[in-house]
Amino acid sequence: MVRYLLRRLNLFLATSLVLFIVLFIVTNQFPVEQRFALTGIQSPNAQQIAQIETDFNLNSGVFNQFIAYLQQRLSGNLGISATSQRPVADELASVLPATFELAAVSGTLALMFGLPLGILASLSRHKVTQHTIMAITLTGYSIPVFWLGLTLSLWFGVELGWLPISGRLNLLYEIEPVTGFMLVDTLLSTSPYSTSAFFDAVLHIILPAITLAVLPFTVVVRITRSAMMTIMDQTYIKAAEARGLHTSRIVLRHALPNAVIPVIKSLGLMLGSFASYAMVVEVIFAWPGIGSWLVAGIYQRDYTVIQGGVLAVALIIIFLSIMIEVLHTSINPLSRKELYASN
Amino acid sequence: MSMLIKRLSRYAMVTCLGVLAVGCGPQRVPPGLVYCSEGNPESFNPQLVTSGTTVDATSQQLYNSLVDYDAKSGRITPSLATDWLISDDELTYTFTLRKGVDFHQSIDFTPSRQFNADDVLFSFNRVIDTNHPYHSVSKTGYPFFQSIGFDKQINLIEKISDDKVAFHLNARDASFLSNLASGFAVILSEEYADGLAIRGEKEKIDRLPIGTGPFQLIKYVKNEYIRYHRNEHYWRTLPKSEMLVFDITPKSTSRLAKLITGDCSVSALPKAGELEVILAHDELVIDSQPGFNVAFWAFNTQKPPFDDVRVRKALAHAVDRENILRVVYQKTAVNATGLLPPMSWAYSENKPIINYDPEEAKRLLKEANITKLSIDIWAMPVARIYNPNALKTAELIQADLANIDVKVNIVSYDWSVFNQKLSQHSYDSVLIGWTADNSDPDNFFTPILSCSSVTSSSNRSRWCHPDLDLILAQARSTTNIEERKKFYQAAEAIFASQLPMLPLAHATKLAFKHKGVSEMELTPFGGISFTGTEESANQNKPKEELR
Repeated sequence: MVRYLLRRLNLFLATSLVLFIVLFIVTNQFPVEQRFALTGIQSPNAQQIAQIETDFNLNSGVFNQFIAYLQQRLSGNLGISATSQRPVADELASVLPATFELAAVSGTLALMFGLPLGILASLSRHKVTQHTIMAITLTGYSIPVFWLGLTLSLWFGVELGWLPISGRLNLLYEIEPVTGFMLVDTLLSTSPYSTSAFFDAVLHIILPAITLAVLPFTVVVRITRSAMMTIMDQTYIKAAEARGLHTSRIVLRHALPNAVIPVIKSLGLMLGSFASYAMVVEVIFAWPGIGSWLVAGIYQRDYTVIQGGVLAVALIIIFLSIMIEVLHTSINPLSRKELYASN
Repeated sequence: MSMLIKRLSRYAMVTCLGVLAVGCGPQRVPPGLVYCSEGNPESFNPQLVTSGTTVDATSQQLYNSLVDYDAKSGRITPSLATDWLISDDELTYTFTLRKGVDFHQSIDFTPSRQFNADDVLFSFNRVIDTNHPYHSVSKTGYPFFQSIGFDKQINLIEKISDDKVAFHLNARDASFLSNLASGFAVILSEEYADGLAIRGEKEKIDRLPIGTGPFQLIKYVKNEYIRYHRNEHYWRTLPKSEMLVFDITPKSTSRLAKLITGDCSVSALPKAGELEVILAHDELVIDSQPGFNVAFWAFNTQKPPFDDVRVRKALAHAVDRENILRVVYQKTAVNATGLLPPMSWAYSENKPIINYDPEEAKRLLKEANITKLSIDIWAMPVARIYNPNALKTAELIQADLANIDVKVNIVSYDWSVFNQKLSQHSYDSVLIGWTADNSDPDNFFTPILSCSSVTSSSNRSRWCHPDLDLILAQARSTTNIEERKKFYQAAEAIFASQLPMLPLAHATKLAFKHKGVSEMELTPFGGISFTGTEESANQNKPKEELR
């Protein structure tokens, strides 16, 4: 197992290195001065120029430049944003929690509703129920997320006026970021309005979270259903039934753990599209996360922000995919067997 | 099996009820006002910029000027100066300063003294004196002051006593007081600047502003919001709302949606097509004010072929401005017959500056020996008061010019990039405009067409015409209204004959707001004031009723 983990770590490092090489090459291709693209300092004075040149080793060969670039980026120097003059790393730290919050809530929603519905679809002997559930999930799967987001905000925000459609919180609430998770911060806040602020934050997250949850939800339902159908035909389930075990016990105790394994695998595969969906959702609902930050950076030709955003998103996706793979391997007895057999 | 389904459905029901319960919970919102603004300010010191977005976010909220302009009476009124004396030769203006005015207090700065003459000296010397330690802190210069030649205009600013300051001018200037009343001539704190200089943090002065205005900056998050708190020591009547938030929303449709859902109470710069939506909502109202502005299509006259007046006229003849008025402004603007809007006292009804005549356009182009012309039109990415939709305007012009075989390429960037690239002067032509900073007609000529403004960023045509400069100088040197009116008409005539830019329209200044919002002031000039704004009927908001 240790050897397996080391190999995964190795994979993570190698992929990240490739990512850095690509970023380094792209940075030098930006249609601006190299110094500006690297640091975001618009008109540096002589002292700053000297500093930049030593930091990034600009006067030596490409290889040394790359090493210096790697050193700077890994030590957290992502430059400053040209539009706000703040360090990109700071901005990143303030936008990332918003994205994680949104992703966590939609992930939870998808699993919370997806797993039971998938089980229900597989157990139901009713053709109508089965077909209805499958029709709904197929529809959900094929709806483009930008259309869904706009439609939901048009209906529930503009026409009905039930839910707010942009941002994380009514801006009149002054909540100091502690964890960066608005749902937590509002509760931690000592302001007399903290309870109302919490409910306001909940209302704000509903529409973006639902929009983002639709895709993983449909995938979870479909995969759970097909996995459950296969498993429920297995002999050990029949044996359990023969022994007179309660259906709920069979399902929850004996079938579900095995059905979850392919779900986890598909979640890992979906990570990339989930991230790009998250960006679209953030832009639609003006959710101040990394996606809308990156898109604004692109419009503002803020090259340091673009690099920082791409780096962060790519690193997170690489890391999470590998983590999900590790998780998948560790709970899947079959792949454990393969693992030891291959080693 | 049925047990399981039952349990699952119960579980689903509880979740749904939970969500509903959250929705029904009591909502208490802190008192304050949210204004949906259209973009990020470039700085928090209006001295450094000419962009209306920045002026909106700073001039009226954070600072005061020495004098104010009262739009109703058309007079200059006291602000930080209680009184002023003009010498007989009109070369010396002596201001008596107000006592008991406090500056904002922040984490970085606790004022130990009140506003006095040193602050006035600091604020203006920073702009005009190139050796001033704070002069070069600004990377963008002082475009408004450069464009009106402020440094050449002023000989000396003299401190007579702690509450008396004298401005000695080099030449008589009828627009001097009006310029001081504009949103750019704000008063900063000298004590704050000194403290920052000692700590070597000079650049903070424009980023973490300290002023005397009704609101104080608390927090600015780029692309998201600007939060202000009421200045509890404000020397005038305290504004009613304790908090003011600018919700930065670049998209016009998003601003409208936020207004409808109640996320903001006032929304800036609507597109004309959205008026019907507002009329359909009973709780929303439209504020309007005939604008002191002009939208124009400026040709880069220092770049061939636009240095040829025949080419400029040919392009102007080919554009159907009535159509632009109808499509882009939808009757919320008046046709421009020159630079001055009808509201200005120097305006007189001219005949249309140029008529729509594609045949004449073709003839002029042939005369100038130009074939296969292909030009770039830079269109602003954001809505401005003078032009709510520059991109659409550009598309209309593109279609019009196609009729005379001129190919148009539309260029646009995000606002900050757009501004930056404009200052590099590589464009062919640009769709932009000008909102007056004060009522003086000079403000429509000197900042945007004089030779001294070519170096600053506000002269978009990069046009320098000595005759026009002479007339403008003469117009400024007298205070006789009738004489001045004649001079400005002469200036209009030169403008019409040379046509460095094609004026398109004078737009009505519009803002959407909730009915409960009282006393938000739209001035005909740049800037928006929230002094005294408060949402009176907070409970009556439709959003609250639905919850």
